[in-house]
Amino acid sequence: MRIEIDRRPIWLIIILRSFRPIFFLTIGLIFFYLINLPTPDGLTIQGQRAIALFTVCLILWVTGMLPLAITSLLAIVTVPLLGILDKKETYALFGNEAVFFILGAFILSGAVMHSGLSGRIALAIMNRFGGTPKGLLASIFLLASALSFFMSEHAVAAMLFPIVLDIAKGLNLRPGRSNYAKSLFLALAWGCIIGGVATFLGGARVPLAVGMLKEATGITIDFLEYTVIVFPTVVMLLVIGYLGLTRFFPPDIEDMHLAKTVFERKMKEMGKIGYLEYAVGAVMAATILFWLFFGRSLGIANIAIVSVVGLFILKLVRWKDIEEYVNWGIILMYGGAITLGAAMEKSGAAAWMANAAIGNGISSPLVVIAIFSLLTILLTEGMSNAAVIAILLPVGIGMASRFNMEPRLITYAIAVPAGLAFCFPMSTPANAIAVSSGYITTKDMAKAGIVMMILAWLVFNLTARFYWPIIGIRL
Amino acid sequence: MKNILLILSTSRTSQDAIEYAVGLAKKEKAKLVVLYIIETELTNEVFDKFTDIGFIGDKPSTELTEAIMREYRQRGYEEMGKVQIRAMEENVDFDAVTTQGDFVEKAVETIERYKIDTAVAIKRKRSAFWKYFSKSMVDELIEQAPCKVEVFEE
Repeated sequence: MRIEIDRRPIWLIIILRSFRPIFFLTIGLIFFYLINLPTPDGLTIQGQRAIALFTVCLILWVTGMLPLAITSLLAIVTVPLLGILDKKETYALFGNEAVFFILGAFILSGAVMHSGLSGRIALAIMNRFGGTPKGLLASIFLLASALSFFMSEHAVAAMLFPIVLDIAKGLNLRPGRSNYAKSLFLALAWGCIIGGVATFLGGARVPLAVGMLKEATGITIDFLEYTVIVFPTVVMLLVIGYLGLTRFFPPDIEDMHLAKTVFERKMKEMGKIGYLEYAVGAVMAATILFWLFFGRSLGIANIAIVSVVGLFILKLVRWKDIEEYVNWGIILMYGGAITLGAAMEKSGAAAWMANAAIGNGISSPLVVIAIFSLLTILLTEGMSNAAVIAILLPVGIGMASRFNMEPRLITYAIAVPAGLAFCFPMSTPANAIAVSSGYITTKDMAKAGIVMMILAWLVFNLTARFYWPIIGIRL
Repeated sequence: MKNILLILSTSRTSQDAIEYAVGLAKKEKAKLVVLYIIETELTNEVFDKFTDIGFIGDKPSTELTEAIMREYRQRGYEEMGKVQIRAMEENVDFDAVTTQGDFVEKAVETIERYKIDTAVAIKRKRSAFWKYFSKSMVDELIEQAPCKVEVFEE
């Protein structure tokens, strides 16, 4: 047995070993301090408790000292324990339509991945348009983006990663050195990120935001309405993203025939398209059409769940397959975030916090949108984008009611930028896997990502200023 | 017979260091041991990220992690192949070790197991900011290694 002697100073060892208990003790003390403060004017006792709980969840979500889902479970049980909402109402919030929509969308996305349909489409497009360095780069970028319109961006990143890796190897690109390799992996990450904000399906954050909005105000945003509002931002970001990729990392390769060999080999391995892929594709296409045109009348969660049942009736998937393709833990996170958001709104804490934080100093909705979108885009670089929504949206909705603003505007100002995390591997799984390839470094990603983040913020705000009024959104 | 160790890893390779280690082993009439460390820190981080905040389940996350690990192993074999060819050209006795885990821990383990006289390590260039706030793994290795460590900055 090997015995290792820790030669660090004793005080350092004690501090490091006792960090976790001290951290949670401090959190507990902060919570009890906030609970026991005299209740400020204009705030109810339930509101004060909701703010104390919100502060604890905020610290835990930001520091990541507990898994996100566990923090959310803590929020769910604490809301009735503190008497902020009653038990029945609290647990009913977990059964929100958004949670069931997310569940259905994850299962559908898992079925598409499992069938191999998404991989086949990806290879066919790359093979068709990947004859030149810029053509292949554009194919990967647009493909990652387009697939993220219809399925989870993380699933798209995971599915395309091995293909891009094989291309980089096939082209003999040097890890960490080749500009072209850097641009390919960044195209994969940025494509997923930009495409992921285009619809409700790219990530669960948009349904989460819409669910929180509905619970707090009764107002909803439907699938088509969201896409129409966000699409110009997505298109502009795709153009800027492509220009950025080719300017930051000019291609240092000309001969692409080796990539063609990779596509042909992989397509051969896949064999011919079969019933399973056709059928899953048809179910997915029908579901998207229903979401777009009947989402409001039938309910997006109902459509999602009926489609899932359809997959099983047609024997296109087995439960075991689906179990392995869905991250069940994260669904708890969304349920908890909706519960906490509703607790903040219903107890009056959200409006009180918005008032205390910003007061009467701001009257222009555009300034509010600019501030919230800036805060969101900065926070999402360092933490989970769903957590950013869970933290900022209750305050944003409170702010909207305080200033008589349309709460949907705030929801867009938070839900869209929350997905635009371009800078660091810790920002989003798509960035993490791009860096893990070894072809692009964190430094390369941060340099290009910071520019992209600033441009994304500007594009979003310009769209809000000039495009939203055209489609009838009153600012 | 003396033993020279060349330490390569997923994020630390250098042609100059390879040339230097082969040349040193030839000059000292030593055996050249090449250690390739597959750093698992990054793959673990990716897996944790998918598990904690990702929208996909265990199977695709595991497949993804395996794809990354396969790629790292492949790169390790290629790097060691390069060193082996240079060692054979220079008639230097050669041994190769591939392992995965913590850089410093694995390097020290190998130094002790092979009774290494001189280790050659590669240090990544870091900004003054990071140098001020954190010690590099190679600096830690210099402190912990029971032999001389020569450093190449990449």
